[in-house]
Amino acid sequence: MKRAILITAFSLAGTVWVVTVAAAVRSIRAFESTPGHAAAAPDRWPLSSAIAREPGTWTLVMLVHPHCSCSRASVAELEAIVEKAPRNFRTYVLAYRPHEFGEDWSRSDVWTAATRIPGVRVLTDVDAREAKRFGAFTSGQTFLFDPDGNRRYSGGITLLRGHAGLNSGRAEVIRLVNGGKGPGAHPVFGCAIVSKEAP
Amino acid sequence: MNTDSKPASVSARALELDIEHRQVRDGRIDRAFAILLGVQWMACIAAALWLSPYAWAGKEKVLHVHVWLAVLGGAGITLLPILLAIFRPGWIVTRHVIAASQMLSSALLIHLTGGRIETHFHVFGSLAFLAFYLDWSVLTTATIVVAADHFLRGIYWPESVYGVANPEWWRFLEHAGWVVFCDAWLIWGCLVGRRDAKAAAMRQAEVEHLTEQEQLKSAALEMALAEMTA
Repeated sequence: MKRAILITAFSLAGTVWVVTVAAAVRSIRAFESTPGHAAAAPDRWPLSSAIAREPGTWTLVMLVHPHCSCSRASVAELEAIVEKAPRNFRTYVLAYRPHEFGEDWSRSDVWTAATRIPGVRVLTDVDAREAKRFGAFTSGQTFLFDPDGNRRYSGGITLLRGHAGLNSGRAEVIRLVNGGKGPGAHPVFGCAIVSKEAP
Repeated sequence: MNTDSKPASVSARALELDIEHRQVRDGRIDRAFAILLGVQWMACIAAALWLSPYAWAGKEKVLHVHVWLAVLGGAGITLLPILLAIFRPGWIVTRHVIAASQMLSSALLIHLTGGRIETHFHVFGSLAFLAFYLDWSVLTTATIVVAADHFLRGIYWPESVYGVANPEWWRFLEHAGWVVFCDAWLIWGCLVGRRDAKAAAMRQAEVEHLTEQEQLKSAALEMALAEMTA
């Protein structure tokens, strides 16, 4: 009797074990490999932006949610891009903050990591006004504008949510700023800054 | 007195002692792993809460899927081996399930820390711990689990294990190769350890046998002296 109970308990635990591991892998894969909403990016630098673009320079703009843990990977990838960028290259990281929260709300580890990248200017994007001007929805969304103000890249620079490492988004941006032809794009992975339905 | 039966009885006793010692040692290691697996589970939850507590949508937040993964996935990985360690310590199946679970715990930790290369060292630390069983087949189970994990994820989800979308087909062999490199020395250590354990059991059996022979001789001598004085 005791043996039968033990066998049943172990069989049950074994089944739960296999099913749970399989379900965990499936759910995490779905979460990490599903991109966020792609940006409705303008073809040229938005004139309504509060950022003053410097003519004759490449300008990269990344929009982040300061509490999105996945965006740590985006910032890490940004650092790799900055290291290989030409001299006439300006980088802005815009960290979202709702107006009802204080300045400290956006001072997260994502903010700190971005400020540590040489040459990167980190600004607060109150109520995602800039994100809306650039047509961005998802944290990690990156735009690259050439010295004439034409958009050359729109997308993410990570392979998956929260995964730093070599990926085609990062490679594409580096290729473009170093004389590569054509516009580039890549899915963006991160938390939502604004919902797609938001005005 | 039958002197021919002496070596056979000593060998049989040595085998008995070896099995007894092994049962005690394996049970002790099973229980240690049960604690370790529990601690690792808590560490996974702590890492998830520390590194990625919430997923955000604007100013709204929900519990991050990594926290659920740490709690539920960690429970799934940990439940069976802990039950086996408590109710069936020393059983051969117990240590093989522990080996598989330990490798899955490594995979979970690596994932929760965003694939940090430093966390991959958990795999090699785990192999060293598993070598305490002095059972090379346990290391084989752990290696098969690691290699299968890399092979299957390399086919269906290469980004999560190698960080690139199109790794070479043989990349899993490179990763598994380092594990095999580690295994080679650990397996040698297991074989030497088993040989020493068997030799220790044999020495103990011999000592027991000699002690028994001495006691029989003393008893016979005392009996002879008693007869002489009577």
